[in-house]
Amino acid sequence: MSKSSASSRSLTLGHLYPDQLNLYGDRGNIVTLQRRCELRGIALRVVGLGIGDALAPDEYDMLFIGGGQDKEQAPVAQDLYEMKGIGLWAAIEDDMPVLAVCGGYQLFAHYYRPADGPDMRGLGVFDAWTVHKGPSAPRYIGDVAITWNGMTLVGFENHGGRTYLGTAKPLGRVLKGYGNNAEDHAEGAVYRNTFGTYLHGSLLPKNPHFADHLIELALRRKYGEHLYLGEEPLDDLPLETTSLTPVNDTLEWEAHASLLERLGLHNEAIAALRTQKG
Amino acid sequence: MPRERPLRPVSSETTPLPDEQEMERVPRAAERLDSVQGHSGSGRRAALNAGLAVIAGRAVGALSRRLHLGGGTSIVGVVAQRVYPGIVAHLATQLEYGCVLITGTNGKTTTSSFITAILRDGGLRVWRNREGSNLERGVASSLVIRALPNGHLRRSGHAISVLEIDEAALPHLVQELPARVVVFTNLFRDQLDRYGEVDSVATFWRNAISQLPQTTTLVLNADDPGVAFLGESFTGKKVYYGIDDLALNQLADTETARYQVMDTRTCPRCGGEFVYDARFYSHMGHYRCPQCGLRRPEPDIRAVQVQQDAFDRQRMQVLAGTFQHEVVIPLPGLYNIYNALAAITAARSLDVEWEPVISGIEQAKPAFGRGERVQVEGRTLRLLLAKNPTGFNEVLRTLFSQGAARHVLFVLNDNIADGRDISWIWDVDFERAVGLTRTLVVAGTRAFDLGLRLKYAGVAEEAMTIIPPQPLPVARETTRLQGAIAHFQNVGARLQNVGARFISPSVPSTSPASPTVSDAPVPVTSAPARVYGLKKALDVALEQTPVGETLFIVPTYTGLLEVHRDLEQRGLTPHYWEGDEA
Repeated sequence: MSKSSASSRSLTLGHLYPDQLNLYGDRGNIVTLQRRCELRGIALRVVGLGIGDALAPDEYDMLFIGGGQDKEQAPVAQDLYEMKGIGLWAAIEDDMPVLAVCGGYQLFAHYYRPADGPDMRGLGVFDAWTVHKGPSAPRYIGDVAITWNGMTLVGFENHGGRTYLGTAKPLGRVLKGYGNNAEDHAEGAVYRNTFGTYLHGSLLPKNPHFADHLIELALRRKYGEHLYLGEEPLDDLPLETTSLTPVNDTLEWEAHASLLERLGLHNEAIAALRTQKG
Repeated sequence: MPRERPLRPVSSETTPLPDEQEMERVPRAAERLDSVQGHSGSGRRAALNAGLAVIAGRAVGALSRRLHLGGGTSIVGVVAQRVYPGIVAHLATQLEYGCVLITGTNGKTTTSSFITAILRDGGLRVWRNREGSNLERGVASSLVIRALPNGHLRRSGHAISVLEIDEAALPHLVQELPARVVVFTNLFRDQLDRYGEVDSVATFWRNAISQLPQTTTLVLNADDPGVAFLGESFTGKKVYYGIDDLALNQLADTETARYQVMDTRTCPRCGGEFVYDARFYSHMGHYRCPQCGLRRPEPDIRAVQVQQDAFDRQRMQVLAGTFQHEVVIPLPGLYNIYNALAAITAARSLDVEWEPVISGIEQAKPAFGRGERVQVEGRTLRLLLAKNPTGFNEVLRTLFSQGAARHVLFVLNDNIADGRDISWIWDVDFERAVGLTRTLVVAGTRAFDLGLRLKYAGVAEEAMTIIPPQPLPVARETTRLQGAIAHFQNVGARLQNVGARFISPSVPSTSPASPTVSDAPVPVTSAPARVYGLKKALDVALEQTPVGETLFIVPTYTGLLEVHRDLEQRGLTPHYWEGDEA
């Protein structure tokens, strides 16, 4: 395996509002992407984007936005719209992989209507909207499992807002838990390579296939389809370095399967453990 | 029947007894109760109801203990309140010295222990609620078990009550308890699944404070902006405490500061972002808001020159006005400096002399699971409860900041009392532990999640033993072969174990973990061939810890209860419940 080319692959992850939207262990998602890149010899640089920072889409290969408290979400919503909106739209339309969890997911829809106070305007990436039905409406709290891409995703959800999808495609179907609104079995939303979801816990550590999917999308986008798939490998870039090499995920899938098992999803748990072997 | 009460005045004008002159007398009661008891007809009915409630509660409590239906503690309060909903107010107003309430995310129990020790050294009879019984029913229980069937408190209520109160239960309980002092320790992210958001707890507290009479003193942590700000809305007496030792400032230490979990970063008054001149941990420090000028209040009681003499012996100079006193704290961690300061400030606002303050802190025993020490088969166990990100970070800092490698057992549970959401582990600085664990066992209902967290922190999978509560049913199906191998390995290890007992004569054969076998069975638990259950986890952790060394157990709340139960079953009953009766 040639070394120079392998180590030359690098990605830059823009972490939006790391100081404001960090309530639900979002650091786990960043740590996971970092580690899984590192294991493949990909250098992942993480850049924090706070309030007031502009977003130049060509500087990043992936973006992440987490969730926070309502109080902290309001100034973020304004900044997201005014400072980063155009850059984000450009990135998203250009197929950059973007993961938006919880509060970040809500801000990617048309609007968030809090229990009290004015509506927060969202980016409208997803044709969806979120309503908080007042302080007495129960929050949706608990472990959750959804289908995704013929497999499962597991996590924890804790949200007061109910999200309703217009034409947006859901990320998956709820197997156990609440999902977007506990009414239509939909969870999350997808637009191009932008993924919105309520699943935290953190999401990526226990869902290594999803983490790798995001990394693959970023690599494919940056280094090109043919090169990524190894159809026409460049002379100095051997085939095996162009796709993600498998890593030992035994623990990850045990954690994944144990949560499925706790939710009573026996067959899905078996399937998850098989994934790890196959 | 007020007439029958021993001669104790119901109003506040009466002269205090000579031996209690340093104690300011409490205004006797919430007004509504005064008026109720003033009319003898309804007063008699109240006393009668209270008597019935006491009898019913204690009867059910005794029955439940007899039938071994758990501790039988909170059921006493539940039943008594069912019989007479006003029971807490009725009994609490009889307390001669009133109540001290302690609330906050972390440090309630240790602060209560400190205050109790100080007040006892000051010669008072102190009644506490049991740790973990900090909801209304627990408070009710703590009073009912000290009441007589005539609805009066034992010893004529000649006591002070030190009660730790759940954050969310405070607004309701301040209506019923005649609080002389309310202590707020800190406000961190904790159990988001139960309280919603950090802000909702601040709302509970502001609501509680708005109901307090002017005669109550608030004891507030000046270094926690979320707590200090509570003083703004209160017109009665407020006393602040804080740390002024700038050598503890972490902003200089970028490695530590990087992973701090900041649960309050914006000004509660205007929403501006705080600027810190010094930060001790999380959001505790010397902050100011550049936007509206809100800044840390000048503390009335301040700690300077904090020194660590030994793992669990710290020393600080306490400044109060022009006075300076040296105080020794027999517990580890910066968080216990804050707990001690809170207790000192509370005691001083009750006019307790410095002498019992200093001796009380120095002699305080670690509260249940908070640094508590147990001897097991030649090893020392130290139990360090860690129930939220800041608590966990501080425990890790206490354990690993000196660079000494430790034997560690983590127990991560996600039961209701722990909080169902464990995503906060990803915000805890486990990177700090890398390379500093001589042996490491990970257990609890979420053992896999914590194992994963440690793996991503950089701990090699071979360096830890993950012991989940039970096997995955699917794992049995898909890895039947591996399971069989593991079984034989286990049997092999057990045989070896037995053999070792015969071989090594110095070790009594009853000992489940002789030093000879300590290194043998460990590899069995690597990768998917696992063993299961907390009992096994304790066994493995103990086996891995050589005789004469210390095993640090860091559990979440219900993990701590399980560890305790297990130690009790092994005949090692660590003393933990505070003596109920003084």
